[in-house]
Amino acid sequence: MKRTLTTCPYCGTGCTFYLVSNEKGRLVGIEPSTENPVTQGQLCVKGWNAFEFVQHPDRLTEPLIRRGEGLEPASWDEALDLVVKSLQEIQGRYGNDSVVFFSSAKATNEENYLLMKLARAVFGTNNVDHCARLCHSSTVVGLAATFGSGAMTNTISCVDLADCILVTGSNTTEQHPLIGSRIIKSSQNGARLIVVDNRNIRLAHLADLHIRCKNGTDVAFFNSMMHVIIQEGLEDEAFISTRTENYEHLQRVVAQYPPDQAAQITGTTPQEIIQAARMFARADRSMIIYSMGITQHTHGVDNVKALANLALLTGNLGRPGTGVNPLRGQNNVQGACDMGALPDVYTGYQRVTDASLRRKFEAAWGVAGLPDQIGLTSTTAIDAMGDGKVKGLFILGENVMMSHPDQNHVQRMLQNLEFLAVQEIFPTLTTQFAHVVLPATSFAEKDGTFTSTERRVQRVRKAINPIGQSRPDWEILCEISRRAGYPGMTYSSPQEIMEEIARLTPLYAGISYERIDRVGLQWPCPDPGHPGTPILHQGRFTRGLGLFSPVEYQPPAELPDSEYPLLLSTGRCYFHFHGASMTKRSRLLQREVPLPYVEVSPEDAIELGLLDREWVYVSTRRGEVKAQARITDVVMKGVLFMPFHFEEGAANVLTHNALDPTSKIPEYKVCAARIRRAR
Amino acid sequence: MRILTPSELEAFLRSLEEEYDVRVPIALPDGTRTLGRMREGPLAIEGGPLLMKPTSIFFPHHETELEYEEGIVLMQAPLSRPLCVVGLTARDAECLSFVDEFFQSNYRDDIYFNKRNGALIVVLSGRCGEDGEFLKIAGGKCDIELISEGAEFIMVPYTQTGRDLSARIDPGKEVAKDRLAALERESSALGTEEEELLRRASQIVLEDRVPEEFWLEISRRCIACTACNLFCPTCTCFEVYDRRPKMRIERQRLWDSCQLDGFMREASGHNPMGSEALRTRRRIHHKLAADVVRWGRISCFLCGRCDKVCPTGIGIKAVSREIVKRHGRW
Repeated sequence: MKRTLTTCPYCGTGCTFYLVSNEKGRLVGIEPSTENPVTQGQLCVKGWNAFEFVQHPDRLTEPLIRRGEGLEPASWDEALDLVVKSLQEIQGRYGNDSVVFFSSAKATNEENYLLMKLARAVFGTNNVDHCARLCHSSTVVGLAATFGSGAMTNTISCVDLADCILVTGSNTTEQHPLIGSRIIKSSQNGARLIVVDNRNIRLAHLADLHIRCKNGTDVAFFNSMMHVIIQEGLEDEAFISTRTENYEHLQRVVAQYPPDQAAQITGTTPQEIIQAARMFARADRSMIIYSMGITQHTHGVDNVKALANLALLTGNLGRPGTGVNPLRGQNNVQGACDMGALPDVYTGYQRVTDASLRRKFEAAWGVAGLPDQIGLTSTTAIDAMGDGKVKGLFILGENVMMSHPDQNHVQRMLQNLEFLAVQEIFPTLTTQFAHVVLPATSFAEKDGTFTSTERRVQRVRKAINPIGQSRPDWEILCEISRRAGYPGMTYSSPQEIMEEIARLTPLYAGISYERIDRVGLQWPCPDPGHPGTPILHQGRFTRGLGLFSPVEYQPPAELPDSEYPLLLSTGRCYFHFHGASMTKRSRLLQREVPLPYVEVSPEDAIELGLLDREWVYVSTRRGEVKAQARITDVVMKGVLFMPFHFEEGAANVLTHNALDPTSKIPEYKVCAARIRRAR
Repeated sequence: MRILTPSELEAFLRSLEEEYDVRVPIALPDGTRTLGRMREGPLAIEGGPLLMKPTSIFFPHHETELEYEEGIVLMQAPLSRPLCVVGLTARDAECLSFVDEFFQSNYRDDIYFNKRNGALIVVLSGRCGEDGEFLKIAGGKCDIELISEGAEFIMVPYTQTGRDLSARIDPGKEVAKDRLAALERESSALGTEEEELLRRASQIVLEDRVPEEFWLEISRRCIACTACNLFCPTCTCFEVYDRRPKMRIERQRLWDSCQLDGFMREASGHNPMGSEALRTRRRIHHKLAADVVRWGRISCFLCGRCDKVCPTGIGIKAVSREIVKRHGRW
């Protein structure tokens, strides 16, 4: 038996466990770490099963090249040469920015760093992005504007210290189970729990106050809470006067949201708004926890700013048990952002538009003329495939057919490409459209680091040898770089890559493999003696003063009407993860939820004459899919909820490509739909 | 009975490696303790019960039952050396004995006994718990017991194999039986309150005096992580399925959990335990009532793991306490 300490590849909580492998090099189990401050000997059901998909027979084991209609096995040399030649030819014909690189929040920091370096230093484009665009891009924009740093302000253990926890747009016990369970414990120990969520989730059952706003009316609700707080003199005057700016503007805006009017917009009662405001503002340490229910809207940035304003108004920042805490969905979505797999920044959010920073990276990478224009986001890049601006796409570990809105649109766009390369561990709907598929290793077969939602950089360690001919993503990227004629991407190990990251990134300057050997460190960690920073903005915001950023309520882009009378919201379930390429190959997880489903309220089910687990068609203006109806009071009358994990009933056939104007995040949480019985 | 210093104990355990595949408590790189081979990490005898499911040595998380290739069925190969497991507690040894009986009954589980047969079981007790806490003395249900006095271990053999092995130790290390008396007195006072609590909870559940609302309330807190089952030494449920890599079939078995909806749904296409409340009830009912009827005893031996790992505080002791408090006869 061998036990290898590593970090869970599912959500952003950052649990660590030991992968157990036998003498034959097969993974045979998992043992949670008892020493990790987040894990504490516990895991969720996905964590317990995180070893099983690794050796599934479906793994991609050799490079594939499109010949005619099908993908056929090829040698690594042939596949890698074809990738480089195709991308270079496209750039030769249409310019550098005709090629786009999608990185992956599943991959390590080192790999995200290399992909953004490959795009910028080797292929000369800032067209690099990843799936944070689809989950927390509005957080990065919203919190950077208000605080100067777009990450979770506090640390997971702060949940234990809060007097009041406001959870909104986060089904925490299902999506970040070990944070969710901590919220339950904290509430049992006396913390007040406010759940502002349309869905009747587990935390709602245990909450002191559960408020079911209409989908997409969050800004009106939080503005009104602030209205009440100011009216009743519950604001933190000292904090506002010493730590913030632009307060008068906020006062003017929220004055327009008295509870009786906001209640009309949000479908709540004035009393609920007043109760929530008092409970939140009167507690000494109030903490906000949110996730995709806040961010995935055409007004996602506004939602985030509203929450940031609420925390500023009540002085709930820079102290234990407080903060604005976005829970990052993927194992390394924080890290992929930190590594600059984004079109506007290098590592550590250093802007590509800043000439001095460009010069710094040019000198470090030994190149001249790094591109100075902000690149395309992953959402706008897909659209740009339609008007011929983007001709080549390189995807590292993302299944865009499953993850992006409006699947039929995505498919048409992918089919417009002259060249698509996908680096993956399993065949997916997206690899079907690839010209080259490069087989990568899973988390269990490589070294590196992931950065969790609480900004903790933790080790990923190789437990077993690569399956078949698969190679770690970082090695593949180095090979592509070498074949493209760039000598500056040769590394003996991911540790060497992290050393380069630390040299170039003030936030990570004190991170090294030696220091994070047992327990990870939380950034900012500016020098090798720095202990890391569990709580941001203590005494001073990253941007200096906290900026009140008042926002006005805007309705969602597409609301129910007579033709499509129901509101469809999408998300995840507990047992699967995103495109499900890993979870559907894990026996117990797949057994638990084997089929696509749509949650329907009991009231709507009666009206439609539906039985539980009966097959229905769900349709929107984009398309139609078949799913099992699950009749449940988790959803309100008039609302449907669908998880997006299932190829054969893909929720993203239905969602629409309406984007937040600044963050370019799609509005996955609201669109108009209808359902009918399938027989 | 012989007495051993920690270094003599380590030497004794190393000497067993010639005949046995020896598993001992070791410390992993971040300090997590587990059962492993001595070369896999420093010995970590002190520290109390190991968190991992102790019966996993014979009933691992995931294993291949058999393989089929080109018309040939390959069963699990017999072990080259029998296992020796050091570091079970007295309560763990009771769990193991229960699991032995379970896998022996009705049909005999050869895959389990392939590893279990001939295995040497060494229990740790006395003053070697977490922060010097006293661990209950087993007084049997194992081949050898190592009872810590603090500085040294008294080695008590209970089986012929245990006696043969202990006879290899320098006879000068022999100590008289009465040396154990004080330790035994200390041990006998341990855990009786919890045992009584469990007995009372069991009685209440058997008499069907716990209302549905109770289970609903408890289940509201369950996040279905399945850790209660996966750490429990007496949970024995597994899922069997085939993996089919090219031209081969591998029949696997994998720890399962009654806290999952699919656990019951699969066998019959429907799930009479379709609610979280019923599943929570099932878990507690199984240990406190169903096994009492079937095996004549409560199948929780108070090892404490589920209480320690449950992220929302609904381990069996916590739930039993609630049952007795709220539904006990007064």
